[in-house]
Amino acid sequence: MPTSFFAAYSRTLFTLGAILLALVFAYGGWMEAIYPPLLGVFEWLETTWFGVIGKTWGAAFAFVEAIHLLGLAVLGGCVIASDGRLLGLVLTDVPVQTVVERTHKVFVWALVALLATGIFMACGVATKIYYLPVYWFKMMALGSGMLFHFFIRKPLLQHDANMLNPVVVKMVAIASILVWFMVAATGRWIGFSG
Amino acid sequence: MINELVYNIAVWMDDTKWSTMLHESYYMYNWVESTHVLTLMLSLGMLFLIDLRMLGYALPDVPASRLAERLNIPMLVGFTVMFITGILLFYAVPVRTSQSLWFRIKMVLLVACAVNAFLFHKRMNESAASWENEPRAPSRIRMGAILSLAFWSIIVVCGRFIAYDWFDCDTSPNTFIDVISGCVDGQTRF
Repeated sequence: MPTSFFAAYSRTLFTLGAILLALVFAYGGWMEAIYPPLLGVFEWLETTWFGVIGKTWGAAFAFVEAIHLLGLAVLGGCVIASDGRLLGLVLTDVPVQTVVERTHKVFVWALVALLATGIFMACGVATKIYYLPVYWFKMMALGSGMLFHFFIRKPLLQHDANMLNPVVVKMVAIASILVWFMVAATGRWIGFSG
Repeated sequence: MINELVYNIAVWMDDTKWSTMLHESYYMYNWVESTHVLTLMLSLGMLFLIDLRMLGYALPDVPASRLAERLNIPMLVGFTVMFITGILLFYAVPVRTSQSLWFRIKMVLLVACAVNAFLFHKRMNESAASWENEPRAPSRIRMGAILSLAFWSIIVVCGRFIAYDWFDCDTSPNTFIDVISGCVDGQTRF
């Protein structure tokens, strides 16, 4: 029984473990221990090629920012279409499985673009964002979003949606929209901070 | 002549109480700007899915016209919010924005997008029955989708560039850029 339980819910348990670890990290005193040495990493990031380009050429930084926004638009579109379908708000005459699976492929490409451009931007302003609480909130939201998407939402929706509890499906959709909105909103707020 | 008219209207707007209040309100201005940017996920998100569907990269097994029809409403809601917040952002900083080269390019491209969207829908509605279950749309429709993706991408880039002062009237030594940016000789403000 315990073995089969762990096997069936391995990814969910992994995600819960990761969230627990993050909470211990944040409130258990680990963060205070790790945070100061991390400054060296962020200072180093500014000396990398990405950091130098981002700091030297404002136009390059702004252009990458725009690509980041375009990636955000595509990712947001996938989340709204896919979770909107789960909530029965859009594309109601297209099968759930079709919308979820097809938008997932585009979602992954958008996420890759967001991560690549995000790393570039972070390098350009590394020592600024190191001191911004909202940046760390964004990283936590991003980590939670990716864990949630790949380890809870996707495995769950691989099953026939008609066999799943409709309340669970709707809760998953709402959680997905909220977590990705949180990622976008905290990202926007970085621009207003510091 | 036109530049002076635009400048005088912008100065008049800038002198209004609400413009100053909006500009100087840290939270209100940031809320409006954030809403403008985050609504990209709704407006451009839906639009890009439709365009990518036409090119065969997204939801290729969903009938094209059905997808476009179903995503049109959330897309238009998004564009309405963007339009309203965009007007508010312009109203908050009218002089500098109206004299921004990037803002002017953005406005021209918005008109081009509207024309392209009209032609795109017209062509799609005329011929969708014959190809809508195909993974890729015919070349004329695909061209419309590519133009839409390109125009909107440049609009986003221009929107981002507005925040930078590379070609502001008091910084640019280039007469040609001054003219197309709408700089007025002897202007004393901004």
